[in-house]
Amino acid sequence: MEKLDGAIRYYPGCSLGSSAREMGDSFQELARMLGLEISPLEDWSCCGSSPAHSTNPNLATLLAARNLLLAQEQGVKDLMVMCPSCFVRLKQAEREILTSMEKAQELERVFHRKYRGGVRLRFFLEILEQIGLERVKEIMRNPFHGLKVALYYGCLLSRPDWITGFDVAPYERFIEDLVRIAGADPVRWPYSKHCCGASLAVTKPGTSDRLVDRIRHYALEAKAQCIVVFCSLCQMNLELRGKASSPLPVLYITELLALAAGSPNARKWLSKHLIDPLPLLREQMSLARSG
Amino acid sequence: MRVDSSFKEEVRKRSGQRFDACFQCLSCAGGCPVVEDMDYNPTQIVRLVEFGQRERVLASKAIWVCVGCHACVSQCPNRVNVPLLMDTLRQMALEQGVEVPEKRIVLFHRTFLDQVRRRGRIYELGLAARYKLASWTLFQDLIAGLKFLWKRKFKFLPEAVKGLSDIRTIWREGDGKA
Ligand code: SF4
Ligand code: SF4
Repeated sequence: MEKLDGAIRYYPGCSLGSSAREMGDSFQELARMLGLEISPLEDWSCCGSSPAHSTNPNLATLLAARNLLLAQEQGVKDLMVMCPSCFVRLKQAEREILTSMEKAQELERVFHRKYRGGVRLRFFLEILEQIGLERVKEIMRNPFHGLKVALYYGCLLSRPDWITGFDVAPYERFIEDLVRIAGADPVRWPYSKHCCGASLAVTKPGTSDRLVDRIRHYALEAKAQCIVVFCSLCQMNLELRGKASSPLPVLYITELLALAAGSPNARKWLSKHLIDPLPLLREQMSLARSG
Repeated sequence: MRVDSSFKEEVRKRSGQRFDACFQCLSCAGGCPVVEDMDYNPTQIVRLVEFGQRERVLASKAIWVCVGCHACVSQCPNRVNVPLLMDTLRQMALEQGVEVPEKRIVLFHRTFLDQVRRRGRIYELGLAARYKLASWTLFQDLIAGLKFLWKRKFKFLPEAVKGLSDIRTIWREGDGKA
């Protein structure tokens, strides 16, 4: 495997600094504790998300492609993308520009710049795998005590990569090992790859409620104490929506790892959750003391 | 029933895909998480396109309710790309001025893109406020909204990209009418 060296450049996406602060902050912490140098793509802009591809394909390509051009100009070889939804949009734009002469010419006409295709788009799990279990293990100073977690991949991560450009399937064992290293115990459950309906959370809340309730019901049935997610949209939706089922804390994978690494700044981001994870975490800590 | 082939041809051309490989196995409909909210299930949409049912398809709720989760195409034995079809149909419905039954979804998309046009990024509090004002559902999410504010998750100061001229160019040159 290639060695990771030098600084890692990443595309944060619009939610990492605001509604997904938990993910942004815990990711920074984790990187710091792993001794990684990370910095965002300079002057990145929104990928266009669903509103662009739903209404205007040209806009979708151009908005996403601007970031590819920036990465190229800033000499970025690997661009790590934090959000699965942004990742799919950037990947889609890349594919269009590199496979369609028409799209490539359109890009050049609009920006007067050419995209040569030298930037590798990588979902952040790929980078984490490259860092490796051994290295992550070294920093796990404060592991959980058998915390039961339902790993929730959501829709975009779990589709075949010929559609989205990233499929979580080959990473599942790695993720389970990663979670075990953090002292948590992944439960078996059937709903880890069903869509949570986040894109309708604002416009059709009833629909999102129904989907979230279903997911939570199965997580609770499997005796999970929290859900662990990989996407900021899933995180917000799973905490915000759902009416019929009891609330269940939802943690990002980066939070779980940073907590297990004993991050001194965890309170700062833990307080941002809509479903308070502190009672659960306290329970784990008292287990630690008694064990 | 008269088959309007021009519709099917237009959809094929715009999406760059053919949809006649479908043999109506209903896998897509079976796995679709939002099928209960659709007036026609994904299989029916594919079929109606092949039958040239322009008005029914473009005025349907289904094309707006689809969340683009790709469950359907992942399990389709013929790799019929339903989400791509849905995107194409939404674009056609907007261009052809069809009365959209899911107005709030369209409004959300518009508000979102308007934010991107102005700042190059999404400023979530502003997005929420504008969408709420425009849709008059001010109170529906008030409780959740207050919780968010309380937790100071949303940024209060909108952050704009420096290269706003790029964004303007995208809208001016890139046919950003939507
Ligand atoms: S899964 Fe594919 S073949 Fe089956 S009904 Fe849907 S589109 Fe047709
Ligand atoms: S992509 Fe759309 S049609 Fe296909 S399963 Fe998901 S919501 Fe249903």
